[in-house]
This record gives sequence, structure tokens and C-alpha cells, in this order.
Amino acid sequence: MSAPYDLLVIGGGIMGCAAALRAAEGGMRVVVIEQAAIGSGASGVNTGTLSLQIKRLKLMPYALKGYAWWKAAGEAVGFHCVGGLTLAFNAQEADILSERMLQKRDAGAPIEIISANAVADREPALSRRVVAASWCPADGYANASRTGMYFRHLLAEAGVEAREHTRVDDVVRESDGFVVTTGADTLRARRVLLAAGGWAPALAAKLGYTPPIRVRVNTVSVTERVPRVVDRLIGHVTGLLTLKQKDNGTVVIGGGWQGRGTPDEGRGEVVPERLLINLRLAQFVLPALGTARIVRAWTGFEANVPDFYPLAGVIPGVDNAYILGCVRGGYTIGPYMGRLVGDLILGNEPELPLFDPKRYQTNAGSPVTQEA
Amino acid sequence: MATTSTDLRMAHASRGRAMQFRFDDGVVTAYEGETVAAALLAGGVRRLGANPEDGSPRGLFCAMGVCQECIVLVDGVLVEACRTIVREGLVVRSAA
Amino acid sequence: MTHDLVILGAGPAGASAAITAAELGLRAVVLDEQQNAGGQVWRAPSGVETPGDDGARLRDRLRVSGVTRAFGRRVWLAERGFTVSALGPDGAEDYRAPALIVAAGAHERHVPVPGWTLPGMIGLAAATILLKSQHILPGRRVVVAGVGPLLLLVAAEILRGGGEVAAVIDANRRRDWFATPLALLSRPDLAGRGAGWVTRLLRAGVPILSRHALRRIEGTDGVTRVFAGPIDADGTQIAGPERAFDCDALCMGYGLQSSTEVTRLLGARHAYQARGWAPVTTAEQLTSVRGLYACGDGAGVQGVAAAPLRGQIAAIAAARDMGRLSASEAENRLVVLQARLGRAARFGEAMARLATPPPNLVPSIPAETIVCRCERLSRADLDAAITQGAVTVNDLKSATRCGMGPCGGRMCEYAAAGLIGARTGRTPEQIGQSTARPPLRPVALQALAGSFDYDSLPMIEPAPL
Repeated sequence: MSAPYDLLVIGGGIMGCAAALRAAEGGMRVVVIEQAAIGSGASGVNTGTLSLQIKRLKLMPYALKGYAWWKAAGEAVGFHCVGGLTLAFNAQEADILSERMLQKRDAGAPIEIISANAVADREPALSRRVVAASWCPADGYANASRTGMYFRHLLAEAGVEAREHTRVDDVVRESDGFVVTTGADTLRARRVLLAAGGWAPALAAKLGYTPPIRVRVNTVSVTERVPRVVDRLIGHVTGLLTLKQKDNGTVVIGGGWQGRGTPDEGRGEVVPERLLINLRLAQFVLPALGTARIVRAWTGFEANVPDFYPLAGVIPGVDNAYILGCVRGGYTIGPYMGRLVGDLILGNEPELPLFDPKRYQTNAGSPVTQEA
Repeated sequence: MATTSTDLRMAHASRGRAMQFRFDDGVVTAYEGETVAAALLAGGVRRLGANPEDGSPRGLFCAMGVCQECIVLVDGVLVEACRTIVREGLVVRSAA
Repeated sequence: MTHDLVILGAGPAGASAAITAAELGLRAVVLDEQQNAGGQVWRAPSGVETPGDDGARLRDRLRVSGVTRAFGRRVWLAERGFTVSALGPDGAEDYRAPALIVAAGAHERHVPVPGWTLPGMIGLAAATILLKSQHILPGRRVVVAGVGPLLLLVAAEILRGGGEVAAVIDANRRRDWFATPLALLSRPDLAGRGAGWVTRLLRAGVPILSRHALRRIEGTDGVTRVFAGPIDADGTQIAGPERAFDCDALCMGYGLQSSTEVTRLLGARHAYQARGWAPVTTAEQLTSVRGLYACGDGAGVQGVAAAPLRGQIAAIAAARDMGRLSASEAENRLVVLQARLGRAARFGEAMARLATPPPNLVPSIPAETIVCRCERLSRADLDAAITQGAVTVNDLKSATRCGMGPCGGRMCEYAAAGLIGARTGRTPEQIGQSTARPPLRPVALQALAGSFDYDSLPMIEPAPL
């Protein structure tokens, strides 16, 4: 049998790949095992929104770093900085908007509150019922479907072995490392990192760790190419709508409306009643969208824990086993979180504090449950 | 609108009532029960619009509502010309 | 609206399933996007029905069967359980039933050729619709190209309708058609019809080029000329003179493939056989999903003779499985139908095999040829992504947008999968199908959204700060 890998990463999403790249940069021999294709899970099917306005306060420093990573990746990931508007349509929404956005501004995001008239000047096609908005010139998006191609290329350049379309059946701890059984063969590694998103609970359980991971089934839909109706990233104060018209003219609509299904079943389904509310909100905000045809709607599994902060660090009680993932909005911060965990694995002090999985000790809750 | 002089309707077939509809700046004759795509083709109109990616011409292709090549605007909404039955006075526009 | 049974598609299979379901006392509804039953093959004519014609008889029987007919419906979603969401003349509709029969039919398989996006180039199946249901010629002077018996039918119909056929270009040899299969399957009637078409074409002086394929199509705003060249039995281009034909229309097709969007969306198991994907069914048309039946060409192309039988079998199985027909009564009926189906299916499958593109046609597509028509992606674009590691249809879709346009990959997926196979040596099973996504057809956002009031939209608690 060949020499054990220094690090075996299970899950080839943004976070797993970014951690693998950092570890390889530090001299480790790394392999990434991915059940489907690199970047094809939540990393590849989200709306690609890179918005500081929708980031949580405590995650803002990480979001700013992650944002910088996407910006640097540039054209290869379809990065566009177009600025973003978050809209409020009544006095109550306007109050919530200004209270939240000013705190985010204080946390470092370049956000300002602007008037309804200023909104109409920038985006004349938006609903005239806007009463207030926040504006962040840095907001933008990337093309999530390119995540896989980009990371596949980075992994190859860094000499990280990527095994795609390979399912991990078992992870067993041994005296000097781990034995990982896949459908194809058996691999040995000194360290393992679980970065399998919604598929992480079953793997973590094999190492005796059962954090209360829940899975959201986020719905996204897209129109066919239509004449330009809007330039900026558009959001609703509740976060229940994100909307952007991409370069090619298609309009991508998200907002975290819930579909159904579980990662283990392997298929998520659109729930029409919820998709329709998402679409109504989109049409209300941008009436000209009404005549656009929807060509595709899909779902992605987004894992989270009750506090909605990441799990990033050592698996409690299992030396040399790490877990990373489980956060809302992981697309933006993912590359940076991966890098931090890569540093931890290398034995370096991470630049910013991690989110210790110890806060969810084993048996702190049931394994995967679906959110209502 | 480029048209050929000859109608492509078969001579012997029975036809419904004749009617007229608009396509962009022209008036097209059709017969009850015909699809917009068939009536346009019969009248010599092959190009129904442009591909939104590169502006290349597109026209009827699958004739069964699958390929989306023959989409035209009716009341501001894109519809497949091959699935839209003609009505007297229908206003049809080509789309990018 | 709750029924005992929902049937998607009112072609020969779906309409037959509906009629049988009604006879068995089920409350059934049959949906179709057309305005009448008949599917593509027995499509209702735009003018007057020909009494006694297969389609006319089917429509008459369906009309008096008591089945609810929901035509002109755009079905955009099907969920397990089952709920079918559609848009009708009065807006959004839901149809619910414990059982669902999918009779989605087939669509044409295409092999891209340089210039095949030009107006005037239509599918062979499209030509049959124009000719038979609209009584309109595809053009004045038409080239008919591709593979299979449909070439002859279309060319002969064009002549009969008063048009000119510039050439028939066939990837197979003519003798392949009239050799063993038809004779063995004892359908001399059809072999005879085929021979009649050939006689008519030869008498009209139409060049019939065997073992040839289109090399390119020329024109600016529409087709004006096509070029064909010789190929070997595998479809590889070989040396020999290129022939050019002036024309104002081209009809091209390479056989039919099952339309599997609905069964894929519902998560049924599919298998690749006879150059196409189809849901796996039992002999009684039951898929791997409980309560979901698939029949007709949407469950593997077996042709129009088999379709009504498969529809009847599906309806009987559905009635039995929901306890509305005794097992013994079902068995009595199924035995008779299965016996008849065997012969029809063998014939239909033999015909479908004749309409199969030779394996090297797709690998021979020139680099600059558009493969994904919606997104205008060339073979070179796809090859670049394949070289960079896209090894499944889904990978290729993410990497290039191939199949992400309005047609949902229905026009290009066969060729795209073939290109992956050509470059990687992977099997069709490894390359896979694309994941089906709703809506099943593009739908205007306003049609889905309907009328609403902002203040009554249910706003869920936003994410924590």
C-alpha cells in the first residue's frame, strides 16, 4: 500500500477545496474525495451572490476576506462587481433596514442608506413602492456554476489529487491516522477533513461526532435571456429575495425559499407554493420581469447548525480529524474559511478565530433534520 | 420581411376559414386551425427572430413546442409560434 | 382537482390509457399541450378530420369515454404523490391523484451539422407535422436527410403535395431497410409502402444518396444550399465526391428518443438502451416509483402500433394496483394485451433501430459547428470543457451552459453526451443524463405568479443579524 496522505478531504466544495489548497501550499500531500463533481453541490448551484449586505455582523470580517478572494479570481469565476440595493417597502421594513445596515457598516461593509428617489435614479425599472434602500457599491456576484471548473484547475495546479464521482463508504480511526473506504479502493491518511456539507452528518457520526446539523433546501430559479431590465444586485430587506440580471441577460432569482428533500435521498424538489411566493416577490420588486419566462428552478442543500455560524475546527475528541462547513451564505466566505482551516491543519495560527465545533458536543442533538 | 411568391400550402387539402394576422410590419393570410409558424412558413417567412446570444437568425425547427426556436411575442409574452393557433387580428412580433 | 388517475399526454398511448381507465370506472383526467388528442403521430388536422382515420377514431372514442380532457395545458411541474401543476386558459391548475401515467412521447435525435441553425432547416418529425396536419410543404425544393424510414415517407409526401425533392441523403443503405427485419416481422404491408415510396421518388428522378451525410448547410437568413459526402457504415467520413444541392428547405432527423423529463423529475430509474434513455418499467409499465407508470414512446421508442397497447396495459395495472380491479380480471386482460404487444413492440423496435445514427457521426462533427443551439456553443467550446474535466452531461452543463437554454438540452444532449464519450471513452451510463428541472417547459413568470397583493405575501422571519 502506498504511503498515507497527509490530508484527506471528504467533499470537493469550495471549503474543502480551499482547505486542501492551503494544506498543499504548506507542503502537505493532499487528496480530495468528491461523490459527484468538484463544486457541484451547494457550491455550484447557489445564486452566486456576493453581497456584504446579507452577511451576518459577526461574519463580516470573514466575508470581506472571502469577497476579496472572489474578486481576485475575477473572470475565471465570472466575478462582477455591480453594487447592490436592498429594498424596503414600508416604514417598518425601512426601520429594520437602517438599523441592521448601519451596524453592518460599522462592521466594515461600505453600506449607505439612500432615498427612494435615489433608487429610482439608479434602477428606473424597480417598483415605485420602494420607501428606502441600502446601497453597497462592493456587492456583486460570480457564476456559481463555474466553481467546479475553477477549483478543479486550482487543485491540479497545486498538485492536489482530486477523485471525483467517488463516494466515501467508511471512515475508521486507527492508531496513526485514518482508513477511508471508497467505492473504488481504500485510502490511508494522517488527517481527515470532513467538508461534505449536507452529507457531513453521516460521516461525522462514523467518528462519533453528532452535531445538530440541519439542512436547508434553498430554491433558485432563472429566466431565459431577456433585454436588460436591471443592472444592480437587488435584495429585499427580509433576505427573502435576491435578484440579478447576469451578463448574458438571464435573471437569477433566489431568497432561500424552501424546497423539500434530504441529501441522503439525493434529490431536492421545488415546492411550488413557496417558489410562487418567491416569484411574486420578484415580480413585485421588478414588474418588468412578469413577461420573462422561467426556464429552470432547482434546489441546493445548505447545511447549518442552530446558531447559523460555521463549524470549523477539530472534531471534539478526535485528534487530526477536522470538520468545516455548515453556514448560511457559505459561498462568499467559503474560500477564506477553507484557508483558515488549512492553516489550522498545518499547525499555523489562523489569521482570524475559527468556530470551534466543541460548542456542539457529541449527542447535543439529533443528526440531520429538515427545517420546516 | 423576405417572402417568396409561392404559397407552400398543398393545393388539394381542405382548409378552414381564411383570416389575417399581423407579423411585425406585414399582414399574413392564414386559415382557421393553422399554427402561426405554419402560416408564416406557408407565406414565405422563414426567419422568425434572432438568437439572443449572437443575433443569428432562427426559425421553425421542431414544430412540437420543444426546441423554443420559433418563439415570437404575442401580447408581450414569448410563445412558440408552432403551438399558437392563428386568430383573426392576432398581432405577432418577432423577438430578439 | 382530485382524480383517481392523471394521465400526461393524449397521444396514442395516453389517450388509450384514458379510455381504458374510464371503462374500468376510474375518474381520470388526461392533459396535453395540444388542443386535441392524437399526439404528434396522430395529430388532429388543421382543417377537416378524415373520418375513419386512426387519429379521428381515437379522438371520437376519447370524447365519449367520460374522461376529463384538459387540452391546451402547459404542465410545468409533477410531484410525487401525485400533483401535477399546469397552466391552462384560466391560469394555474393543480391535478391530484394517487396514480400517474406518463405518456410523454418522443422527440427527435439530432446530429449537428455546420449551418443547422439556419431557418429552413427543420426536423423530419416537424416535416411530418407540417405535411400531415397542416398540409403545408416545408419548402418548394427540399432536401431530406438523416437516417431511417421516415426519410422516405417525408420525401414521398413532399412529392405528393406538389413539392420538389432535391435529394434524399441517408446514412444507411437502402437495402438495410428492406432486408430482414420487416420481412421477419411479417409486416409486408409496411415493406410494401416503403417500396412504393421509393418507386415514386425514383420515378420523379430524385437522387437517393445512401451512406451519405450532410457536410454543411449554407445560407445567410435561411438555407439555400447543402453539401453531402460519403460515409462508411460507422458514419466516418470517407473520400469521395461531395454533392451540392440548392434548396429552400432541409428536413433532417436521426430517429426518435423518449421524452423523459417528467419521469426524471419524479426520480424514476432510467436505463440506456438502443441509443437512448428511457425509464425502466415492468412489463406492466410500472416505473421504479410507486404509482408512476410510463407508456408509449416516452418509455422506450416502440412506435405507434405498440403505444395504444402499452397505454391500456398501464391503465389496467394502475386500476389493479389501487384496488379498483381484481387481480384475476386484470390478469385476464393483461395476458391478451401482452401477447399483442410483443409483436408490435418487436416491429417498432426494429424500425427504431433502422432510425439510429451510425456511431461515428457525432465524433465527426467539425469543431466550429454549433452543438447547443440556444447558447450557441460549438463543438470546440464543449471539447475544451471536456478536456478540462467535464465527464458527465451535468458537468458539461455547469462548465459551459450547454443545455441551460430554453430547450433544456432536448436538442443537444444526445450530441453532447456523444462528444464526451468520444473524447473520454466513458459509457453512456457514466456520462448520464442531465438532472431534470422544472418548469418542464418555459413559462412566463406572471403566469405562475398570478395576481397577488404585496401586503399579503407571507414573509418568513428573516435570517438572524
